[in-house]
Amino acid sequence: MSVGIGIFLFSLAGVYEWGEMVDASSIGIVFAALAIVMFGLTIFWRQDMSFDGAYEPKATGTPFRGIDIRKVSVWIFLMSEMMVFTSLFSTYMRYRFGIESCESVFESGQWVEGTSVTCFEPAGHLIASSWFHIAPGAINTFALIVSSFTVVQALRYAKKVDLDHKVRTKLVTRYLGATTVLAILFLSLKMIEWFIGFPLPEFLAEYNHGDTTIKSLYAEGYLINADSYQHHYYDTAYLADHGHGLSHDTELYAMMEAGTHSGGQMMANIRVSASTFYVTTGTHGVHVLGGIIGLMYMTFKASRGGYTPENAVSIEYFGLYWHFVDLVWVIVFPFFYLY
Amino acid sequence: MNKKSTRTLLVMSALVMAMVISPSVVSYPTGIQGVKDSGCNCHGAVTSSEVVPSISGLPDQYNYSETYEIVVSFLGGPSDPSNANQGGFHLWVSDGELAPSDATVQSYSVNEVSHTEAGNDQTSWTVTWTSPSNDRNVEFILHTNSVNGNADGANGGSSGDMWNRLTAKVSPPVLVLEEADPYVVLTTLIVVSAILLVFTLAYVFYRTNPESFTWEFFAPWIADWLTTTDHKKVGTLYFVAGLFFLGVGGIMAMMIRIQLAVPGNDFLTQDQYNQFFTLHGTTMIFLAAMPLINGFANWMVPLQIGAPDLALPRLNAMSFWLQPVGALLIFTGVFSGSGADTGWTGYAPYVVSETAHMGTTMWVAGQIMLVASSTLTGINFLTTIAVMRAPGMGWLQMPLFTWSILIANLMLFLSIPAFGIGLIQVYLDRVIGTAFYDVSAGGDPLLWSHLFWYFGHPEVYVVIVPAFGVISEVIATSARRSIFGYRSMVYAMAGIGVVSFIVYGHHMFTSGMSPTLRFVTMLTTMLVAVPTGIKIFNWLKTMHGGSLVYRTHTLWTLGFLVTFTLGGISGMFFPSIAMDLHLHESYFVVAHFHYVLVGGTVFGFYAAIYYWFPKMSGKMLDEKLGVLHFLVGFISYNALFWPMHRLGVWGMARRHHTYFVTTEEAMGALPIEAAGWNMFISVSAFIFFFSNFIMVANMIKSLIRGQDAPADPWGGWSFEWMTTSPPPTPSFDPHNLPVLTDANEHVANEPGTLSKLFNRLMVSEEETEEAVH
Repeated sequence: MSVGIGIFLFSLAGVYEWGEMVDASSIGIVFAALAIVMFGLTIFWRQDMSFDGAYEPKATGTPFRGIDIRKVSVWIFLMSEMMVFTSLFSTYMRYRFGIESCESVFESGQWVEGTSVTCFEPAGHLIASSWFHIAPGAINTFALIVSSFTVVQALRYAKKVDLDHKVRTKLVTRYLGATTVLAILFLSLKMIEWFIGFPLPEFLAEYNHGDTTIKSLYAEGYLINADSYQHHYYDTAYLADHGHGLSHDTELYAMMEAGTHSGGQMMANIRVSASTFYVTTGTHGVHVLGGIIGLMYMTFKASRGGYTPENAVSIEYFGLYWHFVDLVWVIVFPFFYLY
Repeated sequence: MNKKSTRTLLVMSALVMAMVISPSVVSYPTGIQGVKDSGCNCHGAVTSSEVVPSISGLPDQYNYSETYEIVVSFLGGPSDPSNANQGGFHLWVSDGELAPSDATVQSYSVNEVSHTEAGNDQTSWTVTWTSPSNDRNVEFILHTNSVNGNADGANGGSSGDMWNRLTAKVSPPVLVLEEADPYVVLTTLIVVSAILLVFTLAYVFYRTNPESFTWEFFAPWIADWLTTTDHKKVGTLYFVAGLFFLGVGGIMAMMIRIQLAVPGNDFLTQDQYNQFFTLHGTTMIFLAAMPLINGFANWMVPLQIGAPDLALPRLNAMSFWLQPVGALLIFTGVFSGSGADTGWTGYAPYVVSETAHMGTTMWVAGQIMLVASSTLTGINFLTTIAVMRAPGMGWLQMPLFTWSILIANLMLFLSIPAFGIGLIQVYLDRVIGTAFYDVSAGGDPLLWSHLFWYFGHPEVYVVIVPAFGVISEVIATSARRSIFGYRSMVYAMAGIGVVSFIVYGHHMFTSGMSPTLRFVTMLTTMLVAVPTGIKIFNWLKTMHGGSLVYRTHTLWTLGFLVTFTLGGISGMFFPSIAMDLHLHESYFVVAHFHYVLVGGTVFGFYAAIYYWFPKMSGKMLDEKLGVLHFLVGFISYNALFWPMHRLGVWGMARRHHTYFVTTEEAMGALPIEAAGWNMFISVSAFIFFFSNFIMVANMIKSLIRGQDAPADPWGGWSFEWMTTSPPPTPSFDPHNLPVLTDANEHVANEPGTLSKLFNRLMVSEEETEEAVH
């Protein structure tokens, strides 16, 4: 029950972070609360570690007779997770289709330089602009898919009865460890993509519009408080300088030709688009983080020879969750990164 | 062991204390104390008697709305007339309006004035005070600051600095009693109830074994309750928490009723009223009704399906313990004077605006925890009911209460993530500044309404459907026959479950959503009446075919049938769009949902208390007190809510802190009779509120010296009546589960077509393992 209390304090601590009115003293409480959550989890795990034997109650009611109870509950849990992401996607769809995209606002010429217009700027527009910008997301996709495979391999070896226990321990630890590393890779690349960015070697720059750095989304100004977002995509002068200019069949071009629009750089309020992007992918990131914490424990348990064919099912339950997280990413990726 | 338990207990209580105290310190927007207490905090920190402040020009008794000229001044201190800067002042008044009369004084708000830069050069200032138009004991608090304003302005002109404080009182023309701050009343009442709860707890412990009434025995006993995973104990915890919050919500309702008893009352300010109805709604739905339901579900579902415990006992304990802390978060705002004031619906964009109280953030955070709790509960019950039924119990042999819990949890489980995500979005909007519902950034407030009501409407069925289950059990037992139309009952409940997801639009008829959707939800809402009607007629037919025994729980059930049917009929007014536009946000709505939630859920669960209390505690309740509770409760309840229909048709608006009556035709005022009806409602409300203490007294009395209950006092035939009262732990031996042979079987004990199909799809673990070997 310490678990429970730990999590209460965690959310309580969240409350203290008053966003803009940053109160530095509250950060200590956030960490204290996190520590209590970890404490609760440790107690939970200690009970699990010391628990030997494989009491796995079987279902008695139709239609699940003979199936592990916990397996049914994991599936039911995933049902609610499904609804969580459905709600996030409905938010996304509402705003994606309900707010005019920045590109069409820019091309329609319905803006004046220096005044912010509200429009929807999908993160995909920035990310899909260059092969290198999309690289972290693409690598992440493969990392997750491969990690789904490694977790299944871990389960397979844990379940194999005709395997020496030492060999099994080694293999299971290795595969679970690989899954952990891939999951951490996923989050690290995400941080690079969001906050850090990365440089490109000279010879690749020509494939990246002559630019030698890939800017992070943060550096691009794609932020939840970006009420005056400016980007060179929406700058007539920049477009003219960089050769390709403005497409001639846009209304903006016609207006500028006719002299009714003076051109310049459009300023946009993209707070809604950024909120949707960061919160949806962030929720997925939190799921991955939860997976990492679980994986670390499982790898530790495996390394001490904790998995036998009798209790290997718990790897399976984790696997179900992990496959779900993977699947969600496969849907998030095209919607938020490509399209 | 004992030492360890003691330590655990101490740590836990320290944590709880910390949680209670710390938020109330931080979340107050202006700090713990207002300026009126701390004085000029810009200078010296202690008062000095050398400075003598004075106020002149105040009357002993004021006249209504008259303007007085007041001179505030001081003598003494380091101030020197030959220097440029001499001092300053700050004046606060509890009522009326202060205004500066020249450029030496500035106004902070209608209650506060202070000197300006130019006003630094003198020791007396003139301000005007307009007295209030009603009777108040007015208090003035003056701080004056005397400085040695070093002629050259060195040290900022304030080396040598002393200040002092003066309070002055002015009486109204008519003597009034000192009035209590409603917050103080509420907080006191809650604290007193909590203390009573603690004493009851200690007393219960004392009664269990008078000889061992020492800390040494108490620590492990309480630690056991705090860390239990037994479904019966967790159920009891839910039950106690639910009753406690029912009382807290009731106290708030009573304060609302005091405010509305007479027109133009000012017991609560508009601002306080907003918080009180918000928290009344949230408390009653999430902290009273749901825990009561979960309490009975925890107790009865495993017993009814013949399972040793719930599928995931530890998770079950966690979903309970998320609730009290969530509740603390929800209430933190009130304790610090700025609770959520958004209504329980928390409509955007107000909920994310800066004008909404700071407590709203905590209120949202608390609800996020309740969402987590409900999700865990949902996993647990769905799994338990799906997989842990005793051998021989097919889907269609489950008792109807179990069916109702299954359907309620399924509805809750599928809808609450939408609410959770909505809440998280609001939370992030309020905390880190995302823009989901910020209209200026293109956010759509209607999206919140959609997410909220997509959850909100199933939620109201989630609280009513378990009551249906209880009523079915009680009616069948009391009529001494099996329920009429068992299958149609199940299908009707499932039908309500399905339809509940597509009716929510009727909450938003006036929001300007798509007319097509309005029309669709109008039709589906009307459709809800069909399964509900089937259920009502089945209950009537059950009584018709049986011979009814009038016990207290039977009486509450009959009461339920009357009030719920009335509530259902008034509900049929709302899906009609034209009618709804007229009745929207009026007391007609208030009357309707109290008829279904109190007359439905609460009456249903009172029936459940009288029905299952002997099973849970092993003691019989007093029938006479029970009948008294029913008679007083039922009559005062109807006297309380029935007149609200009339007020609603007259146009009395809900969520308004007061109303006015007139004998003439006037816009926005009610006919003169409305005042009388409101007073009648308030009186009935108090009777209804106190009638519930009869039940509490009854429970305490029976726990102390009640008769021992037999295993099956009412002649019920589901599994829970086959074990002892109270049941053993684990409730059934996992290696020797009971087998359902002939528990009044409703259908042949064979899997149906669908079950056979599922059985073929499901590959059991044993079979796969055999395949491996």
